[in-house]
Amino acid sequence: MAQIKIRKGHSLKIAGVPENIIKENLITTQVSMRPVEFRYTKPKLTVAEGDRVNRGTALFFDKTTPDFNWASPASGTVKKIKFGARRVIEKIVIEIDKHEDEYLGDSFTLEQIAALSADRIKTIISKANLWHLLRQRPFNRVVDPKDKPRDIFISAYNTAPLSPNLELILQGNKDYLQAGINVLNNLTDGKVNIGVPAKNSIKELNNLSNCETHQISGPHPAGNVGIQIHHIAPLKPGDKIWTITIQHLIILGKLFLTGKFDPTIIVSIGGPGAKVPTHVKTRIGASIGSLIEGQIGGGDFRIISGDVLTGRRVEEDDFLGFYDTVISILQVDRSRPFLGWFQPGSSKRSYSLTNSFLTFKKQAFNFSTKQNGSQRAMVPIDAWENVLPMDILPNPLYRSILAADIEEMEKLGIWECDEEDFALCSFACPSKIDVGAAIRQGLDLMWMEG
Amino acid sequence: MKFFLNILNKVRPHFKGEGKLKRYYPFFEAVDTLTFWTNDQTKSGPHIRDSIDLKRTMIMVIVAMIPATIFGIINVGYQHALALGIERGWLANFWIGLQSYLPIMVVGYATGFFWELLFPIIRKQEVDEGFFVTGWLIPLILPPTIPLWQMVVATSFGVVIGKMIFGGSGRNIFNPALLTRAYIFFAYPGRISGDEVWVKTVDGFSGATPLAVPVANPGADAVTVLNNVSQFDYSWFNMFIGWIPGSVGETSALMILLGAAFLIYTKIGSWRIMAGAVIGLVATAFLTNLLAGGSTNTMLTLPPHYHLVMGGFLFGTAFMATDPVSAAYTNRGRWIYGILIGLLTVVIRAVNPAYPEGTMLAILLMNAFAPLIDYFVVQGNMKKRMARYAE
Repeated sequence: MAQIKIRKGHSLKIAGVPENIIKENLITTQVSMRPVEFRYTKPKLTVAEGDRVNRGTALFFDKTTPDFNWASPASGTVKKIKFGARRVIEKIVIEIDKHEDEYLGDSFTLEQIAALSADRIKTIISKANLWHLLRQRPFNRVVDPKDKPRDIFISAYNTAPLSPNLELILQGNKDYLQAGINVLNNLTDGKVNIGVPAKNSIKELNNLSNCETHQISGPHPAGNVGIQIHHIAPLKPGDKIWTITIQHLIILGKLFLTGKFDPTIIVSIGGPGAKVPTHVKTRIGASIGSLIEGQIGGGDFRIISGDVLTGRRVEEDDFLGFYDTVISILQVDRSRPFLGWFQPGSSKRSYSLTNSFLTFKKQAFNFSTKQNGSQRAMVPIDAWENVLPMDILPNPLYRSILAADIEEMEKLGIWECDEEDFALCSFACPSKIDVGAAIRQGLDLMWMEG
Repeated sequence: MKFFLNILNKVRPHFKGEGKLKRYYPFFEAVDTLTFWTNDQTKSGPHIRDSIDLKRTMIMVIVAMIPATIFGIINVGYQHALALGIERGWLANFWIGLQSYLPIMVVGYATGFFWELLFPIIRKQEVDEGFFVTGWLIPLILPPTIPLWQMVVATSFGVVIGKMIFGGSGRNIFNPALLTRAYIFFAYPGRISGDEVWVKTVDGFSGATPLAVPVANPGADAVTVLNNVSQFDYSWFNMFIGWIPGSVGETSALMILLGAAFLIYTKIGSWRIMAGAVIGLVATAFLTNLLAGGSTNTMLTLPPHYHLVMGGFLFGTAFMATDPVSAAYTNRGRWIYGILIGLLTVVIRAVNPAYPEGTMLAILLMNAFAPLIDYFVVQGNMKKRMARYAE
């Protein structure tokens, strides 16, 4: 049991923290898969509008990776396939049937899973069309099933703003958790590393076997798996590390223990714009409209699939992202305070990681979608460094990305980076520079260069 | 306030798109967002943002300089009264000081904003906020007796050559305010090279600045000669409080320390640079004290705590060395940058008697070397990582 204390970073005190109760919400009548979400893949459809699909049926596959299919999260009829610019498949919408036919595979006991060979496991995941549960670093994209990862990392420590309560997620799922870990342990020669909260009160996370537990403490982004990898066993060029979210690990465990693909996930709904911040039990790709029912009052709002730092802006007729477990609702504030930049500031109106406003930071803050300033040239007042708990120099890295200097990016550690770990830098930047987007731009360059 | 906002919204169409005045949009935008804070919404990346922006950052630096500014203005009047040999209340001193300070400040801001608006209009960029601080700094680091035409010429040089030709705030190499001062220093060296005092409007008045006293008395002990000056009170405590002649903002160590503490508290000024500079200065001064034995250079005997409160060192360290754009931008680099500023300040003061004041040149020199320092720090980081990768 290793202890990892992370000091840099900041956990936002945002209003609308979800209550610790789970509302059942399986009434969503439509679900969707969004091929655009899986970066650096070439999705090709295997279904057409009007087709009948079962839960687990392949909806599309990756032209560049054989046998890489994406399972339908529900059984029903393909209602709509939406294309974007240059015929990119944006989303596949499925109207759910009353009677769900689901995929049924082999089931195993925990001990049997621990004894399965890697090839056998890979066949089972391929057959269930669920490889996309796993993601790899670098690049934070889906894995290549042919690879043998150096290590596998799981974060069981949520620090992202408004993210679901881990205790609620894990309740009664200890066996599935262990089954998932047993599966992963056979896929790598290295270790399965799981980061848990240092003051752990969740009994499901105690006494896990076939993995190494690391006790993590500290503010956001300490819960990001990328930060944990960086502190436990950093990536080197050529390394491949697989990661999986804790909810997807449970789905993977269930697949092996029961032979079923259970798309149930727990999503938190919160933020200053949410009327009743809560947790909802729903399913992968649920429609936003069904999730936020009764949450939004009048006025101007922004709905975000994902957390407020890294999420994607969605409308009511949109769908939950595959890897997202948070719906954040923010108010849109278009007021223009007179000499606002000059006023002393107040705990109601200003929130800053610097101490340049007169505020008391105890209370939760009603964040809006305001940018609080215009974009400017870089003025390095240490804002980025103070929220980045990595041995990475963000400023030189940012410059090397702007210069598209691949060699320098590599030397400055781009392999270890992902945009989500830099989201707080963008938040804190006084010049309103989107550092995370730049990191993604750098990774895109690295990907294109192969 | 709603009334003004309505006016702005009414004239906005003229400055946008195909409006008649679209060339002057940067001007409109600057006025618009200065009066009513922008309501730009986040588009990509984090949907929420910190409340700080560049306007706020700049105003915080100005707030940090307010104690030194007010004290400086009172001191201008006080020195004037002292030279005339009369007694005056502090309010009257403030009034007298303001009479010579305000014109300099107004002329400086007017000149600076002219260029700050002209360049963005030609370049079709947004006007940035850098000159708020630059314009506040310039009168503080100049003597209150500076002729206004020199102010115009020097400010133009500082802003245009120091900043605008590089593309504006955030892209400059040197601190524009210091460049302004350096321009006057070299172009009109008559009364600003740091050896003679400047006191407002008293004809034929002259005297030596504290830093020039040891230079003028070779082969003695610096503290003794300073205390022997009868014209001014050059005791350590008085120099710490700041009732001595000098540039407007630099005399009071106490007020500058207040400002520095504020900058560090708000996390806008880099404490690493400030601490580095003080450490560099104290260490180097100790060293010169040790070496002073066989020399007739009185400056070498000046103890560290005198170095700290004399000349523009504290002011430069707190408000100009910490300019994030022209300083080093890596944390390790900031330490090196700060320490070298302290070191160079003492070296220039002690070894080069032609320039009794070394802070300005030390900071400008280190501005030039900051990219090199960062280069080595970044290389070090890369080497460490490559070594780990090679394991």
